[in-house]
Amino acid sequence: MSSQALAADYKGPGGKLVRIRLTEDHGLISHVRITGDFFLIPEESLPKLEKMLEDTPIREPELRMLVDRFFRGTEAQALGITPDDIVKAILATKQETTT
Amino acid sequence: MTETWRVVDLEYPDDPFMNLAVEEAIPRAVGEGAAPPTVRFWHNSNTIVLGCFQSAQLEVNFDTCKEIGTEVVRRFTGGGAVYHDAGNLNYAISLPKGNPLVPTSDLQQVFRKLSEGSVQGLRRLGVNAEFLPINDISVGGLKVSGAAGSVKWGTVFHHGCILVASDLAVLGKVLNVPKAKLADKHVASVQKRVTTVRNELHRSVSTIEVRDSIIQGIQASYKVRLENGNLTGREMSLAKELYQSKYSRDEWNIEGRNEPVEVRTIASH
Repeated sequence: MSSQALAADYKGPGGKLVRIRLTEDHGLISHVRITGDFFLIPEESLPKLEKMLEDTPIREPELRMLVDRFFRGTEAQALGITPDDIVKAILATKQETTT
Repeated sequence: MTETWRVVDLEYPDDPFMNLAVEEAIPRAVGEGAAPPTVRFWHNSNTIVLGCFQSAQLEVNFDTCKEIGTEVVRRFTGGGAVYHDAGNLNYAISLPKGNPLVPTSDLQQVFRKLSEGSVQGLRRLGVNAEFLPINDISVGGLKVSGAAGSVKWGTVFHHGCILVASDLAVLGKVLNVPKAKLADKHVASVQKRVTTVRNELHRSVSTIEVRDSIIQGIQASYKVRLENGNLTGREMSLAKELYQSKYSRDEWNIEGRNEPVEVRTIASH
């Protein structure tokens, strides 16, 4: 199947949960929603990150580069999660499938 | 000179959507210079309040909500879902950005500093409360209050809910708690991780009594004077507009999050 829905809930050392629900199409992220009980300011910046992740393969180097670029470019401040947690949460979708 | 802050007790216990509209209107007005530094106290009845980044579909048990008439509303700040009932006291602090009390935009420092008044207020009542990073106030390891906040619109904003005499059984039924969230807590339910002021004091206690004690705690902690006041015309206009365009809508409360809501510039003052 070329398109599949993937999901993961990931809790990092900060204690907050990152919940990833994404669609992978031909090996690339076609749509992703990042939800959870973390803090991020400005709050309106999250859709930018979701948009940046589109058309990216679920591989650590690419994901890490994009997430780091997002935090550098927007000067967004996260609390309860780190850029690393977001990368690990997305990678975790390849290890588990929840509903 | 001692700084004077306004205390506002405006609330709509049976209209959580208007409650959350007022919750956003105040910090917007404070940042505009159209309102003084403000502490608001308020209640909701039977409502889930979601953090702005949460998925309603994943977090809310809609069947139970429908059964017992629980409303679902989303706030503009991050953090986790909370269940509000009449035994739950909400407070919100809005200070203009740059106020010497909180000269930082570091959210962790904001939570720490602006929880102090509530911690002191609870201690005055005899509750052995302490701030627990990231955003909780705890008693003997059990959560008695959670907070959220932001720095935006030229305002440092912090709000929290204090479990005074809340029905903890309902709390565990209306929210789905993800397994990953409980994984390292060694307990099986939300109910076992939280406590109430009533449980800690082993006596009946009203939210009014807690409010009054927090006012004392805020005045002592921050060396400010609190004075009762009302919303300005600008704040009421903003609240009504936010109610119409955002907080009364499923697009925001259930489906949406993050989408910036444009607030039209309406004739102010």
